[in-house]
Amino acid sequence: MVKESYSGSVEDQLVKSSIEGDKNAFGEIVGRYQGMVARTIKGMLGDSVFSDDIGQEVFIKLYYSLSGFRGEAKLSTYIQKIAVNLTLNEIKKRKRFFSMFSQKGNAEMHEFEVADQDNEGRKDAREIVDKALMKMEPKFRIILTMRMLQGYSTKETAEILGLPLGTVLSRLSRAQEQLRGILNKLS
Amino acid sequence: MKPAELKDLIINSLSVDNNTEDNMRKLEELGVKYSFGEGFREKVLDRIFSAAVSVNREVEFVRSMSTIFYRIALTGVAAIVILLISIFLTEGSLSFNSFLGLSNNYDESIICLLTGN
Repeated sequence: MVKESYSGSVEDQLVKSSIEGDKNAFGEIVGRYQGMVARTIKGMLGDSVFSDDIGQEVFIKLYYSLSGFRGEAKLSTYIQKIAVNLTLNEIKKRKRFFSMFSQKGNAEMHEFEVADQDNEGRKDAREIVDKALMKMEPKFRIILTMRMLQGYSTKETAEILGLPLGTVLSRLSRAQEQLRGILNKLS
Repeated sequence: MKPAELKDLIINSLSVDNNTEDNMRKLEELGVKYSFGEGFREKVLDRIFSAAVSVNREVEFVRSMSTIFYRIALTGVAAIVILLISIFLTEGSLSFNSFLGLSNNYDESIICLLTGN
């Protein structure tokens, strides 16, 4: 199953126990959602040690913000939003770093991200997917990650990214165009 | 799977009417899987709960310091009150001179005391 969906009452209990400081309950939440968070972060940033650090930050932020979680949205959506925000912040940081030292900025950042991959034991399909993702603009990359790696619908993607549905739809078609060009160059 | 089919699969994931979950499952079968390193969960829990322990220790320290200060302050106040009462009982007043122990001495006797004559 691609999207994590668990019983609401069990999750409510896990959230409640975690707020009270129950280590095991929070460990259960981490165990349930780490795959989902890994897909978002590694899809956006590539498969590197930095991604694991950002993943840890996601769950640390989740732990300290759980008391503010009212249960209006699904826990998975709440976690996904944190993951997306932290990932986009990391991309901004990288962009700032590269633009400070080079006029090429974005191009060098993409090169860094592609080179940063751990290629050991990588299968062809995964390699192609990763390269295609890393060559896309971040605003399209996040859409592709949500759709291709998380299996979200257009509506769910819009909700998680906090974008109007129309914006997501227009980005979908532009991302598809960009992706086609990238894949043609890759093959 | 042929490269062209894989390409279509990736591109189709951006089609509005595409079944994204089905697409994702096919990609997973081809090895497109992502996970964090070993011991990820333990690392997260360690970072959260060891930080919580150190915060608790700090809170405990501040709490015990304030308890100690409270006790010292109370003892000090009690000592001052006892001192004032004893001064009042021995000197008969709480004037500045009685605090300094000079209420029963004349200026001349102080000069004699200081000069030794």
